[in-house]
Amino acid sequence: MLAQMLVNGLLSGLIYVIMALGFTMIFGIMRIVNFAHGEFYMIGAVVVFVMFGMLGWPFFLAVICGGVAAGMLGVIAERTLFRRLVGEEMSGMIMSLAIGIILQSLVLLTFGPAEQMISRPFTGVWSIGGAVVPWDRTVVALGALGVLVLFHWFLKATRTGLAMRAVAQDPQTASLMGVESGVIYSAAFGISCLLAGFAGALMAPIYTIGPYMGEMPMLKAFVVVILGGLGSVPGAMLGGLLLGLSESLLSTVFSSGIALIASFAMVMIIVIIRPAGLLGRSAR
Amino acid sequence: MTQLLRVEGLSKRFGGLAAVSNVTFSVENGEIFGIIGPNGAGKTTLFNVIAGYYRSSGGKIVFDGTDISNRSSDQIGRLGMARTFQAVHVFKTETVRENLRRAGVIGRLHSPFALFASSTRHRVVDEEEVAEFIGMRGLMDVVAGGLAYGFQKILGIGMAMMASPKLILMDEPAAGLNPSEKKEASLLVRRLHKERGMSILIVEHDMPLVMGICERILVVNQGKQIALGTPAEIRSDATVIDAYLGDSYEFA
Amino acid sequence: MKPIGFLYIMLVMLACVPWIIDSRYIFHIATMITIMAPMALSLGLMLKLGQLSIAQPALMGIGAYTAALLATKLGAPTLAALLCGGVMAALVALVIGPVFLRIKGVYFVLLTYAFGEVVYLTFQEWTTLTGGMSGLYGIPKLSLFGFRLTLAQHYYVLGLMFTLLCYFGIRAIEKSNVGAIITALNEDEMLSRALGSNAIAWRVAAFTLSALIAGISGGIYANYIGFLSPDPFGFRASVDLIVINTIGGTGSILGALLGAILVVPLPELLREAQQYRLLIYGICLVIFLVFVRNGLVSLRWPWGRKS
Repeated sequence: MLAQMLVNGLLSGLIYVIMALGFTMIFGIMRIVNFAHGEFYMIGAVVVFVMFGMLGWPFFLAVICGGVAAGMLGVIAERTLFRRLVGEEMSGMIMSLAIGIILQSLVLLTFGPAEQMISRPFTGVWSIGGAVVPWDRTVVALGALGVLVLFHWFLKATRTGLAMRAVAQDPQTASLMGVESGVIYSAAFGISCLLAGFAGALMAPIYTIGPYMGEMPMLKAFVVVILGGLGSVPGAMLGGLLLGLSESLLSTVFSSGIALIASFAMVMIIVIIRPAGLLGRSAR
Repeated sequence: MTQLLRVEGLSKRFGGLAAVSNVTFSVENGEIFGIIGPNGAGKTTLFNVIAGYYRSSGGKIVFDGTDISNRSSDQIGRLGMARTFQAVHVFKTETVRENLRRAGVIGRLHSPFALFASSTRHRVVDEEEVAEFIGMRGLMDVVAGGLAYGFQKILGIGMAMMASPKLILMDEPAAGLNPSEKKEASLLVRRLHKERGMSILIVEHDMPLVMGICERILVVNQGKQIALGTPAEIRSDATVIDAYLGDSYEFA
Repeated sequence: MKPIGFLYIMLVMLACVPWIIDSRYIFHIATMITIMAPMALSLGLMLKLGQLSIAQPALMGIGAYTAALLATKLGAPTLAALLCGGVMAALVALVIGPVFLRIKGVYFVLLTYAFGEVVYLTFQEWTTLTGGMSGLYGIPKLSLFGFRLTLAQHYYVLGLMFTLLCYFGIRAIEKSNVGAIITALNEDEMLSRALGSNAIAWRVAAFTLSALIAGISGGIYANYIGFLSPDPFGFRASVDLIVINTIGGTGSILGALLGAILVVPLPELLREAQQYRLLIYGICLVIFLVFVRNGLVSLRWPWGRKS
């Protein structure tokens, strides 16, 4: 029982981490709360639906395309819309709302409101310590881990990653050092949406695909990011795992609705007492 | 003469650093009092503790008979201590007239409860009168953001006056002003004191200015008080001369 | 006559339209406008403080469920239940206000977002009290001093009167000294506090008023529809309110009103093409965020002056 809860918690936790990473990145670098983050997740899933489910392309190719498509859409959104609102936190948030509902409606118009399912590329289970682990969830977890490693390498070892960290810490000094903030913003937004799209693509076969599927992951990402600290990458990782585990515990003992209420109550408490979250900078 | 403000053994520590240690002085009713010290002496910290922005780490502050050691800045404001800012704070998009009017309104209606109390505690101050006093009568309809910096600072003083305070705390009133603006500001402060009998506490970096208008001065260095007395006494105090720039420093 | 006079005349004429057309359907749309307009005003009040609150629909829900439960479970007279709904929402605001309103900017938005979700989920999960997703039925029609409001027309008039009350009330506050204080708080809180303003008290007062308005709107909604589910009180409703206020003009009370008149009928008028509704909202938001930044109220009217 405990082992199963732990396994479930870790599996969902990893996806939450991926979602949260993108979300926290955009806030850390551009100080925008991206309410459309869930819709980029949805785009990734929709791409997999079309390529793998309808066209029969290989699953992993479809997943990569999903991530890339979401990333490119993100860059377009940033360059055409968000760029005009740099520095205005409120307007940026409302703009992200607008983009979210536009994306939702486009998918709604193209595919209709009904939720779709695609055939599972992996079936079967394996077990560890009394817990049953489905293979498809395992693939998702491995994919998520792979992305995490890549992302970590990107931030630490590449020049762009370094530039992003610089802009997040101090935009003015970064620009004095020759970092062009415009390029960084586009790259950051693009990568953030790529991460979300990737998560959605990986998760596509697990549940159903529909225009509103991004709403719940967005809520989860939001909770994780507040918990871990807006703008903190290690915080997103810690927060994701914590949420996954606590949710697993609470849903088993009570109900998923109660688990969700608890998550949001926790968010409120954190914002009030320690807005920087567990690992964030108390920059406010 | 009654003591309007009494500070006893005041200290403020930030972690391990003692920004202010054991400062004691008092400001009499109707007095102009100055606090000076070299950069980093702790005078701004001292100012902020008295005004209620920081909690003190030790000591006592008594204002007009009330212990304000742990009160917040707006509570202290309501007790009759007004402050001006080092970096200017005015309502930039409003006219001078509206700025002064607002200052008066805010002072009278400090909380929603004041709507119900028939408060005769606050004398209604006329903004025309204040504008006349600070010499900005002709600029009443100019948008505050468009004023020269020096005038914005003077407007700040006018706004503090609208609350009819018992004591005005001025945080580096000369900061950012050119010599002629400094002269105007210092004249205004002197007039405020002489003609209105206003009690004023000035924290300043500009030694000549403070020597010129204050009746008594407290000198701080590295958080500790090193001298307290009239300008003449301070001028000849060896520790003060030493603290500033060595014994070759010339006072105004 | 000042341009705003013309606008008011036009609005009065618009208000009479439902009687001219005399269709139950039009009356329904009109009533919904008069229920959502005070909600938009309630958000507008918060925007005047510079704080974007996503909690307004949740407060409306609290008012709605309180009124409905008092009337159905306790058999309370409907008018009293309605007012209690408003008071309950106001009390909640009074309690959370001092804590929430100290927090500004993005974090405040996120805080009210979380609060809104907790309230919504509570409506959903507490099935013994609220009936959860299946809903609360059998809410009696409103009875005002012996007169039972049974038809859409009646609720339209009620809604209209409440909207006008809120609109003129808030306008009056805006023009008074209190309005100057609120604006000052939003422009420069540090300066206001230095001048002696008890900033948090004023913010809580404004928030409580906005909650009272939201709660009463909720009660009217409950009585009108006769049935309640958590749906109208979630995040979607906040998005609608944000669209309304952005299009009308953030920080303008008249803007909130105009925005409501324009936006609320859309889902009904687009009945055939519901899926386009979201798209239109999104595109309108983008247009008004980027190009017409101060909303409809800032547009030049044909007779030459900004109202």
